[in-house]
Amino acid sequence: MTRTEITEKLKDVFQMAAGKTYDESKYDESSNLTTDLGLNSVGILYCVIAIEEFFGIRFEDVGFGDFKTVGDTIDYIEKKLAE
Amino acid sequence: MSVFANYTDEQTFARIVDYKNVSEMWRRSVEEFPSSIALVDDGNNITYQQLDEEVSKMRAALAEKGIVAGDMVGVFIPNSAAFVKTFLAVTTLGAVAVLLPPHLDAMTVFGCSMKFSLKALVYSVALAEKTAFAAEKNPRLAMIEDTASSDAIVPAVDVDPSAPCTVLFTGGTTGRSKGALLSQRALMRGTKNGCYGIREVFGQKYLLVLPLTHVFGLVRNLLTSLCTGSTLFICRNNKDMFRDIAVFKPTIMVLVPALAEMALNLSKQFGRNMLGPEMKTIICGASTVPPYLVTEYDKFGVTLLAGYGLTESANLVSGNPESLKKPSSVGFFYDGMEYKIVDGELWRKGPNMMDGYIGDPAENEAAYEDGWFKTGDLVRLDEEGYLYITGRKKEVIVLPSGENISPAEYEAKFSELDVVQDSLIYEQDGLLVLQVFPRAVVLNKIDVEDKEGYLRAKIDEINESLPSFARVNKVIVRTVDFIRSPSMKILRKENANDQN
Repeated sequence: MTRTEITEKLKDVFQMAAGKTYDESKYDESSNLTTDLGLNSVGILYCVIAIEEFFGIRFEDVGFGDFKTVGDTIDYIEKKLAE
Repeated sequence: MSVFANYTDEQTFARIVDYKNVSEMWRRSVEEFPSSIALVDDGNNITYQQLDEEVSKMRAALAEKGIVAGDMVGVFIPNSAAFVKTFLAVTTLGAVAVLLPPHLDAMTVFGCSMKFSLKALVYSVALAEKTAFAAEKNPRLAMIEDTASSDAIVPAVDVDPSAPCTVLFTGGTTGRSKGALLSQRALMRGTKNGCYGIREVFGQKYLLVLPLTHVFGLVRNLLTSLCTGSTLFICRNNKDMFRDIAVFKPTIMVLVPALAEMALNLSKQFGRNMLGPEMKTIICGASTVPPYLVTEYDKFGVTLLAGYGLTESANLVSGNPESLKKPSSVGFFYDGMEYKIVDGELWRKGPNMMDGYIGDPAENEAAYEDGWFKTGDLVRLDEEGYLYITGRKKEVIVLPSGENISPAEYEAKFSELDVVQDSLIYEQDGLLVLQVFPRAVVLNKIDVEDKEGYLRAKIDEINESLPSFARVNKVIVRTVDFIRSPSMKILRKENANDQN
């Protein structure tokens, strides 16, 4: 799966997770998950569960809070998919 | 006759009784359901009988450390069977379980050990690092690992129902969290109230995802499960909750609205009922329940029952057994609730109320009037006796996740920055917003071109250091000072509406 494909797939996840506060114009790799995408702690939990399901990966014991941006999340997914 | 008698059969209703104390409730459960599974945790099935043996060993270990009835004992353990065992051991010894949320830092753990005069701290190895400071600075504090055990026989103590039982934290208005002291009677009345409104309340299968240090997790989830011979599956990591559901097949869950909404959205995104076909009931509360959740869950065959509670009232104040009929109501008052509505605000008295905030005379003064506890919640009752929450008077933000945060507590963290003059935190559309007014004299002296960028980076650093539920989602840097009262107090509402 290419980085662009992951980015596109992730967009749906973030949109569902952030709900009505989601602002598509702010979605790029540098977007901060909390302050740009407006994810609260439950929104972040949503992302972890949905990403595991969509990409067939398992997060290790990293809090999702360890990722600051969309780019960090994509890096992690790429790493897990390559394993 | 209680209105809740209409929502179950006569026999079940008769089995829902008041217990004097935790010892009496627990003894009766072990006698009635010895071989039923009480807990499923970390791959282990633990029966009521086996759990009681573990509780006895921990109770004896505490007694050997000199703990007696009335002593304050900190419990610093994440959700696990060890938490349940320790909580029961402390409270059946007649001691007071001070429940410290696992996200507390080392300084706060030490601070709590002093403020609540803890005689001992029972901790989990996973949190040991955060206890070292308290152990070093407070030599009177007995440190006890949650694996402690002794074969000595120390029977459960039948303390007076008015004896203190547990301390739970809740958001404060003066900038710090407060510790609400609940008696044995209050906790047992809360537990009893939790049994109402469901046709089959005994022998259920609960999946626990809420923190046990939160009143909703402790009372409506853990204690109601234990007093009804039900099984509680402890989900160790919420990201695994749907995998746990697939394995355990729970029949009931206690959820905050944000989690109920999350499960619904995931079900929509993946095109299947993520809660599983066995799930029949969701108990939902701790913050405002959006009425659409009731109707959406009904389509999946799940009854979502909304309720209303407070830490200060051992959780349950009212519950709505007719959620489809009146989805925006939090239901009927439970029996024995004394209440009055003063200028729209709900005031409370009664057997499930706390005995005050420990060591906070100013908070107690503000919270009570003529012996009535002022809830800070604005309410109305309809002609059929259904209760509705219409707003809040208190300066406490209840997040959709059910966490109560005191804005002042977190504003202080941002205001500690030398480049920040003042800050204000409020909730808007479910998000936390921070407004800051920079301290120009300091900021202008800093040798960077992008002053606002510098300020925002500093704010981000503080934000990242906060517990995830308390992080702000949006930062507004003000160009003019806050709107203030004549006494220079920042006016919350006016500034929230004026984002300059």
